Amino acid sequence: MRKTITVAFLFIAAGAVVATSRPAQQITTGTDKGIVGVKIAVPEFQTTSSDSKSTALAAAFNKVLWDDLDYSGGLTLVSRSFYPVGKFSGPADIKPQDWTTPAVDAQFVAFGSIQAGNGTMTVEARLWDLKAAQNREAIGQRYKSDDTEEGARFIAHKFADAIVDLISGGRGIAQTSIAYISERTTGVKELYLMDYDGNGSQAFTAYKSIVLTPAWSPDGEKVAFTSYRRGIPDIEILSRLDHKPYTFDRPGGTTTTPAWSPDGSKIAFATSRDGSDMEIYVADWNGKNPRRLTVSKGVDISPVWNPRTGREIAFTSDRSGSPQIYIMDAEGTNARRLIDEGGHAVEAAWSPDGQRIAFAWQKSRTSNFDIYIHDLATGRNTQITHDAGDNERPTWAPDGRHIAFESSRAGARQIFSMVLDGTKVRQLTNTGKNTGPAWSGFSK
Amino acid sequence: MTLSHMKGFALVLLAALTIVAACKKSVAPPPPAAVTPPPAPPTPTPTITLRAQPATIERGGSTTLQWEARNAAGVTITPEVGNVALTGNRSVSPASSVTYTATATGPGGSASDIARVTVNVPAAPPVDNPPPRPNVTSSSLSDNVKDVFFDYDRAEIRGDMIATLQANATWLKSNPNVRFTVEGHCDERGSEEYNLGLGDRRANAVKEFLVGQGVAANRINTVSYGEERPFCRDQSEKCYEMNRRAHFASATP
Repeated sequence: MRKTITVAFLFIAAGAVVATSRPAQQITTGTDKGIVGVKIAVPEFQTTSSDSKSTALAAAFNKVLWDDLDYSGGLTLVSRSFYPVGKFSGPADIKPQDWTTPAVDAQFVAFGSIQAGNGTMTVEARLWDLKAAQNREAIGQRYKSDDTEEGARFIAHKFADAIVDLISGGRGIAQTSIAYISERTTGVKELYLMDYDGNGSQAFTAYKSIVLTPAWSPDGEKVAFTSYRRGIPDIEILSRLDHKPYTFDRPGGTTTTPAWSPDGSKIAFATSRDGSDMEIYVADWNGKNPRRLTVSKGVDISPVWNPRTGREIAFTSDRSGSPQIYIMDAEGTNARRLIDEGGHAVEAAWSPDGQRIAFAWQKSRTSNFDIYIHDLATGRNTQITHDAGDNERPTWAPDGRHIAFESSRAGARQIFSMVLDGTKVRQLTNTGKNTGPAWSGFSK
Repeated sequence: MTLSHMKGFALVLLAALTIVAACKKSVAPPPPAAVTPPPAPPTPTPTITLRAQPATIERGGSTTLQWEARNAAGVTITPEVGNVALTGNRSVSPASSVTYTATATGPGGSASDIARVTVNVPAAPPVDNPPPRPNVTSSSLSDNVKDVFFDYDRAEIRGDMIATLQANATWLKSNPNVRFTVEGHCDERGSEEYNLGLGDRRANAVKEFLVGQGVAANRINTVSYGEERPFCRDQSEKCYEMNRRAHFASATP
């Protein structure tokens, strides 16, 4: 469906600063980059007509834009109750001094208008740097899509990411996706995809078997996962856009937990194909040229690469008696245990910058699993979930600021996300039982 | 101490060193001057040490290779290990006795070291090989081959399960045309991913036991279902115990 949406980037005001959706484009706004919590006002975008469809699309757009910016973790949204009275849709409506008074004290204001009709929706969107002496307009764009709620969400995500890229010191994740496992329809576990905010869920498989452990290719074009479709679990790979299957060798033995190397050329996985217990292997991404990396009595499973260097692999092993996380060099050498304390420490997720490992830790048999962040430089472990129920399967957003995970805090397992500091917790799924999230990389 | 003082001190030191050198020369005069100038110092030759600890293992066991190379640009260990860093360790599990060779190469040449690993192979148990008997159905498999239960977080065969497994082996040996799959299952506690590995261990522990009793290994498939196919869905200890099992299925999955 998303393929049907077209977005035009037009420069809508003479003298508008050139802005495109490419985050590499830097625009000087007079603001220091990297400020966390820069204050932005976002008055509701106005519709040019008051028919019910336009009103509904505007409501959807305004909600998604606000939520995206609020959730980005790098911006402070000024409450609308402090805004000046009026409607703000075009440059003539914004008096900078009204937005920089102590009551509002915004550095930026994002505003614009929405026009819907004849199957098309057009959004004119602007971001103004209120404290700039001149060239106030940091972003000025016209977006077009189908006049559907999905189109409204898509434009809001695009504009939100453009703002976040420009002023938050990070990169916007509003156009990223999360793959996960759901039992909502066929009663068995299937692969699903959803937008990063939980909207737009779609079934990706209908195998009526068991599907587990999705993993995105670094380019976001393929998903590898475990499938029981042929009896013995093995690894399957599907293209995201057209569901085209790619072959992955399956010489037998329980084979699971695929993980792409950061350059996308290899997959690490766990298998018992050689007749012993689960061991970590690396192969080309079609399964050719497999190479065994671990040799230990017991389970070795759940490998993940250091996404920064591609030179190390973290994995779960019970070689010491109970499952713990180890790191080894990508050739299988120099395995060392991550943390010295006991319990079950499992499901390592390596941060995009390579400096931290998120994992699920059950400190004793009677305690719950909670998500911890291990800082590789200091060795410090920071607990980031404290809620009831088990909290497991952390996965990093590509901005390194957000984490998604599964939790039984609300009963049946559901997928949640939050900012790394534990704030802005969102429940992304509600129907059935949903597990095993995998956050995609940045969209292209 | 001022800078000029330091300079003076350095000069004194230099003079003292010269005197010492001169004294040494007087004790051991230098060899006659060579006709050709002395060659440039050669590029140092690589060195490498490779050890296997322990040097003797049982089949299925593992040993750790440890190596350290100097003056090398790269190290390769054969068989199986391949290119590795200059120093490191790695666990290996050769199926039979083998000599590992580590070769360090660098600008100054190459050097090798070897480590021998002896693998003790246990005598194989007698394997059933009688003619096939027809008309064995899956229902007779499920009637005669009982599930085996495991302790929490364990994959070892429990003492109270040995009699069950021996009875299973007896029936399987007298019905040698039955090919079957051992399914490893876990309770819902613990990590879903780790439980895939634990279920696999349970299935393989049962397979290993049956092979030890003389059931042909090529009749036995294994599959791990982890916590995906529980027999009982209550959250109770009784239910968890029922779910930690190895189950026998006649069809090849």
